[in-house]
Amino acid sequence: MIGMVRERYLEQLNLLKESVLSLGEMVKLIFRDSMTSVINLDIELASKTLALEPEVDRLEEEIETSIFDLLALQQPMASDLRLVVSTLKITADLRRIVGLSINIAKIPGRIKGGHVKPLIDTRKMADIAGFMLENSLKAFETQDVELAKAAAARDDEVDKLFYAVWVELIEMMAKDTSIISRATNLLFLIRYLERIADHCCNMCESVVYLATAERVKLN
Amino acid sequence: MTEAVQNISQPQIEAENLSLWYGEKQVLKNISIKIPRNSVTALIGPSGSGKSTFIRCLNRMNDLIKNCRVEGKVLIEGKDIYAPDVDVVELRKKVGMVFQKPNPFPMSIYDNVAYGPRIHGVNKKDLDSIVEQALRSAAIWEETSDRLKSSALSLSGGQQQRLCIARTLAVKPRIILFDEPTSALDPISTARIEDLITNLKKDYTIVIVTHNMQQAARISDYTGFFLSGELIEFDQTRQIFHNPKEKSTEDYITGRFG
Repeated sequence: MIGMVRERYLEQLNLLKESVLSLGEMVKLIFRDSMTSVINLDIELASKTLALEPEVDRLEEEIETSIFDLLALQQPMASDLRLVVSTLKITADLRRIVGLSINIAKIPGRIKGGHVKPLIDTRKMADIAGFMLENSLKAFETQDVELAKAAAARDDEVDKLFYAVWVELIEMMAKDTSIISRATNLLFLIRYLERIADHCCNMCESVVYLATAERVKLN
Repeated sequence: MTEAVQNISQPQIEAENLSLWYGEKQVLKNISIKIPRNSVTALIGPSGSGKSTFIRCLNRMNDLIKNCRVEGKVLIEGKDIYAPDVDVVELRKKVGMVFQKPNPFPMSIYDNVAYGPRIHGVNKKDLDSIVEQALRSAAIWEETSDRLKSSALSLSGGQQQRLCIARTLAVKPRIILFDEPTSALDPISTARIEDLITNLKKDYTIVIVTHNMQQAARISDYTGFFLSGELIEFDQTRQIFHNPKEKSTEDYITGRFG
């Protein structure tokens, strides 16, 4: 039998995990809509997406506060400690992904006259990054080490696409200087996507630590 | 058990399949453990799990209990302390003990510390320096040097406990057993005892029974988890509090026990 005070503590741990998962849902939405807005140059969707940032900040602050309270008041140990530490790190990664997605959602407002090229590889990058985000969160929820490793393994594909598109855009700009402004926005876009995939890798590393107490490098 | 613990060579304290009964009731079940020299080992576990009984086996304090029967071996510095030729008084000199409740004798501070050396036949002229040295090592010299003739009972609880540690040190033990030494003390006195234990480690091997998990985590190098008379897990403290191997250890230290 465990007492009321301890039950409350276990409830707080569960709540913490749930809050991170809800933040994760919101991050997935923001990422997806920011990509849709940039692909379709949909300014209305972009501004709806930008409007979600304060809610993310609120949720992030709420999660951090409950982590600080748990550390100060409950001194979690063993797997509880690993949960608290990994949620702190995952929350920071999710917040960075939101920051990068917000940057993406600002691009449609800056591009006049359509994209300089069809976004084929860029969409592939976004699809893989979206897959990594989805699965790193799923792995966190179920503490699935294999899923986390499999998700992180796809970072290489993102990196390869990043360099390919990078070179292509530089070559296009060299040939036609009139596209520099629009092409530069795409350079930023692929850079943001590459960074988002890196943050997903960090989350996968946190999942491995949570489940096994092992520190691994996955990218 | 991680490799670091399996490979402890030349342990100062070693139990091999140690079992103990009080009458019909088996209180310790096949305990095997190796404790290295100059380390602090914390024993944790619920009340009645056998931790205190175990450390009382290490200086044969259980001999004083009627109907107590011991099987298996306890080796201190390689010697079986339950062998027939063992002098129990010498053993308890080598393996000192500090209890939960400070228990100074109703006599002066000086006489409390001098008590053990006197019994063991130390010359009167050496006593002063032994007492001073013990009080210094127990970090209580500054507070008592000008009132050594005052009654030990005039000291605060925390001071009394440090005096008891000084009394233990005065007979120059090799090992000191602490049975919940800070459970009756305030946080400041507790911190002083914890500092003291950490400092004593360089000269002594220390085994401490504690219910305070943070204390075990703070001051020990190794931690053993007892449950229902069994040593469930023994490992480096960092390992136990970070990633214990056994579910019952995890449940206990995270408060899910029961």
